[in-house]
Amino acid sequence: MFNPKYLMFSGTRELEEKIDEMHDKIIESSMFFKEAFEIYIKEKRSLNYRRASKKIKIVESEADDLRREIESRLYRQNLIPDLRADVLQIVENIDKVINEFDEVAHKFYIEQPDIPEEFYEKFKLLVSQVSECAENMSIASRAFFRDFVTVRDYSKKVYLLEQESDKTWSKLKQEVFDSKLELAHKIQLSALIGGVADVADKAEDCMDALLIFAIKRDI
Amino acid sequence: MEPSYLFFLSSGLFLGWSLGANDAANIFGTAVGSKMVRFSTMAIIASIFVMLGAVFGGAGTSNTLGALGAVNALAGSFMVALSAALSVYMMLRAGVTVSTSQAIVGAIIGWNLYAGRSTDYETLAEIVVGWAVCPLMSAIIAAVLYIICKKTLRYSKLHLLMRDQLTRAGLILAAAAGAYALGSNNIANVVGVFVESCPFKPLKMGSILTLAPVQVLFMLGAAAICVGIATYSHKVINRFGNNLMKMAPLEALIVVLAQAVVLLLFASVMLHHWLQAHSIPALPLVPVSSTQAVIGAILGIGFAKGGRDINWSIILKVVSGWCIAPLIAMVVCFISLFFLENVFNLTVYLPNG
Repeated sequence: MFNPKYLMFSGTRELEEKIDEMHDKIIESSMFFKEAFEIYIKEKRSLNYRRASKKIKIVESEADDLRREIESRLYRQNLIPDLRADVLQIVENIDKVINEFDEVAHKFYIEQPDIPEEFYEKFKLLVSQVSECAENMSIASRAFFRDFVTVRDYSKKVYLLEQESDKTWSKLKQEVFDSKLELAHKIQLSALIGGVADVADKAEDCMDALLIFAIKRDI
Repeated sequence: MEPSYLFFLSSGLFLGWSLGANDAANIFGTAVGSKMVRFSTMAIIASIFVMLGAVFGGAGTSNTLGALGAVNALAGSFMVALSAALSVYMMLRAGVTVSTSQAIVGAIIGWNLYAGRSTDYETLAEIVVGWAVCPLMSAIIAAVLYIICKKTLRYSKLHLLMRDQLTRAGLILAAAAGAYALGSNNIANVVGVFVESCPFKPLKMGSILTLAPVQVLFMLGAAAICVGIATYSHKVINRFGNNLMKMAPLEALIVVLAQAVVLLLFASVMLHHWLQAHSIPALPLVPVSSTQAVIGAILGIGFAKGGRDINWSIILKVVSGWCIAPLIAMVVCFISLFFLENVFNLTVYLPNG
């Protein structure tokens, strides 16, 4: 039935959904990344790994489309003119985190590093910490649109997880260079460990920007 | 109606034009400045509601100005309005925001002095108290609205985009209310001094509506305000809004609402009678300044936020303008009436008025 209220806000509601979908993409890419890493540890560059990394690629590509759609709608419908730049920045930051997941997964596929069993646990821990860090950033970012208190709550979690991932990254890198591996192998693993840890760094950067936007929005 | 009447009325219409150019910025300056709503949309809405407010709600404040000084000669009315307009112009050139309400009261007192009439001090006291109460009331209303909005938003957890849309709709409604209030409260400043010498006949608009002569006069004054809105308010808007305190669209909405409520409280005859009938102390029906109301509301929000962002030097400048404007208008009016009577041989007051 015709309802002017829904007609008036239908464009806004659609855009709300798009922004929500964009946040979902971080969670999806993080879960697929964990899944892909588990497969890599077991099977290296197998068909399964290829499928798993392909899933991340699809999520990344969908996120790109969503980002473009959100950006264009914000301008076309002249929405939130005072906060538009901040929202666009948030959407771009989210996209950067998703890109980082995709990039690291692709690196594993291309470089096929040989990860010695002794590093499995620390590697898994690092992957789980950066994924959780990105997921919490996504929750905080989603909350920015509705509730500041939650933004602050989750920012603490993001910062804590980033610190933890830094510690794991540092220990793992140290262990790699203390091992008897070839120098080239050590450098390759070190670069990959750095790539994984970069996801948490990107999430932390997003969180910093998010907190500033939240303070600006606080009326 | 004699053509000379229109010439004499021109000073009032000029005052109306400057009121439209300046005060429209108070109503929808931030909404347009922040690109929340298009200027053309706001200008049309504001023009319609200024007209409605002036024609149907402008009588109360005009009677008060009439009680302060019944300017009974057309040339006198012309000079009273022109002196007010000139003093507003001079103050604006000096970079001080002033109120036409204060300028016109100063000019009427100038006419009283020249014509040897005693100023009704009771009415003057009412008006001055109105001026003092107006920003104070506006500040309180804005602070309360701000706190309510903040709490409501915190608990409702509205999406940012939905909030934006609601704010946008609110800004349009508030601008309509603000424009109605401006028309009803400030039309007395524009053509109030011409009421005594109003030559118009009742105007029939179809079979339903007949406008009284004074309402026709108010309609003409409101048209001048509309021209001011359409032709010059855009330039004022580009400079307005960020001088006293940086405002978010929601804060702008609160400011406009507080201003509309205060101006209506000082202009609504119906509300005045209702309050009196229920033994509630009613506010005097006096023309108050929309700029004062806006400044009061901005201060109210500033205090509710802890008083950090308020630019006190600008506020001091504005307050000093409030004190100086009536004095300048009074002196300019007195001297100009002398010239008008002795150089141009025009009757500026009737002895039996």
